[in-house]
Amino acid sequence: MTMVPIARRMLLTDRRRALLGVAGVAVALVMVLALEGIAAGSTRQISRYIDTSPADVFVSQKGVRSIHMSISVLPADVVDQIAAIPGVAWSEPILLVSDSVRASRVRRPAYVIGYSPGEPGGPPVVVEGTEPGPGEIVIDDRAAAMLGVGIGDQVDVMGRSWSVSGVTTGMTSIVNTIVYVRYEDLGTVLGRPSSASYVLVGTDGGPAEVAADIERATGHTAQTRPSLSAEERSLVRQMSTDLMNVMAVASLVVGLAVIALVLSATVLSRLKDIGIMKALGLGRAGVTRLVLGQALATVAAAFVLAVGLTVGLGAGVARLTPDIDLVIESASLIRAAVGSLVVALAGAALPLLRVWRVDPATVFRSAS
Amino acid sequence: MNEIALAAEDLHKTFGDGDIAVRAVRGVDLTVRRGEVVLIMGPSGSGKTTLLSMLGAMLRPTSGRILVDGIDLAVVPDSRLSRLRATTFGFVFQDFNLLGALSVRENVEFALNLAGVTGRPARLRAEELLTGFGLSRRLEFRPDKLSGGEKQRVALARALANQPPVVLADEPTANLESKTGHEIARLLRAIATDEHRAVVIVSHDARLKDAADRVLWLEDGAFGSFEEMATDPVCGMSVSPVGAPHLQTADGIVSFCSAACRDEYAALRSGRSTVV
Repeated sequence: MTMVPIARRMLLTDRRRALLGVAGVAVALVMVLALEGIAAGSTRQISRYIDTSPADVFVSQKGVRSIHMSISVLPADVVDQIAAIPGVAWSEPILLVSDSVRASRVRRPAYVIGYSPGEPGGPPVVVEGTEPGPGEIVIDDRAAAMLGVGIGDQVDVMGRSWSVSGVTTGMTSIVNTIVYVRYEDLGTVLGRPSSASYVLVGTDGGPAEVAADIERATGHTAQTRPSLSAEERSLVRQMSTDLMNVMAVASLVVGLAVIALVLSATVLSRLKDIGIMKALGLGRAGVTRLVLGQALATVAAAFVLAVGLTVGLGAGVARLTPDIDLVIESASLIRAAVGSLVVALAGAALPLLRVWRVDPATVFRSAS
Repeated sequence: MNEIALAAEDLHKTFGDGDIAVRAVRGVDLTVRRGEVVLIMGPSGSGKTTLLSMLGAMLRPTSGRILVDGIDLAVVPDSRLSRLRATTFGFVFQDFNLLGALSVRENVEFALNLAGVTGRPARLRAEELLTGFGLSRRLEFRPDKLSGGEKQRVALARALANQPPVVLADEPTANLESKTGHEIARLLRAIATDEHRAVVIVSHDARLKDAADRVLWLEDGAFGSFEEMATDPVCGMSVSPVGAPHLQTADGIVSFCSAACRDEYAALRSGRSTVV
């Protein structure tokens, strides 16, 4: 049932106005997608240490259910206690504190992880150099680039100087970076050489069951890797949700204003044509389809353009500011698509009210 | 020729209420048969356009009936009027009223779409009609690239697209030069005679009288006798001698549609007439 594409024809009669409308809505959608993309990238980065860990279960001080914005202190003997629990294949303590890593005048917030080289808990991969020896540190490649340091250079962490022995990758986020030193070194710096922040556990059986057994046996909090990762992401999302929502709504309001203005301008400039169409027999439903068609076409084009621009923006951002990951998740696309649909419908409301009132008899000369 | 296509009975239209009420149409009776061309003339403000709007199902009468194919347009629900306009009437307008966003072919095709004819059949029908009006080389043109005569021929093709029993034309020659106006008048006549449709024309243009089977004079919302009317010798419009600017000449009283026409006429006959 091919019909004359009247909505498209009307929209494209003034191409410049149509393009401006598409561009305006696209910019608003890019803001939404980019903000959500950066948030998604950040939450992924924030849990990367957990996600890349070989541990199946993470044990923390009772009640501590995340790493970000938390302090966990466990007695050192808990490691042996955990190792004795059936289903535990291995257990390994790590120390973890928040500080910053400095070189020259550049400073970068950092999680400092103390681990035993050769054991779980260290960097997932060392792309250059070696794991840390006494007084040495492994840093992330993005952080190294920002700090302008390489293997053998000195950086300041926890009030003392460390020599860079190795470089890992994928551990720098928009929030912070992760650096790795020897467990003993960090314990000495902290003044508690026989404690742990977390205990990483490898299991032989089901991680959830083992985690439950650990909690029962030790009284500490034990979470599976996916569970801790989800907690971590959820915490970061909660911290940024209000801001993100405000920004997203503001962006959609901008898009709404643009689409309403474009449609109003298009409709008002074509009221006579709409009168002609009504005189020729276009009914209320047809007029509604005509206006909604223009709104949806504008928003659909804007959505496609916005996705393309956001992907390009992500690539550009990754090149210019390596600590920012812009990840477009399918959920974000769906939210933006739904938002676009709402914007299209809301933006079409006023023009629709106007065209519904157009009198078909206006096609004749002024009534005589 | 005897089949009635359109009938209006005791048609009234009043705008506003009370002291500000304007009775635009007062008790009009009109019957138009298939194959017939009826020309309705009258001065500005006489109610011609109001009458045409009611006949074309765009304006509801205050009282009276308008019968088309046995349907009384005065009581048809709004939801059905659009469809009726698409299938029952063909419209030809003074300003052509083509859709500028569409090509010539699409303008006709769009009218077909409104009546439910879509796709290839609509395209073929549009092309056939436009070719019949000598526009085969203008199919993909935008209306603004056409001459006035071409635009009005597109409008005629659009009006005939759905083979309506009634064609309503509002000042179809007003914006056309003389030769083209005659051509449009001839085409309207042919639409009635050859295609057996009823054609109702509202116009000031006295040239259209030649194409009409009947000429009706509308004044103050009611039909009067056309024999009482005079023709402005300058512009050709029909005018009511009562109250119209006029000139006393040696041959008698000459009436005009406006003082400007009268003055122009007087200038041509300077020294031989007296302005009254």
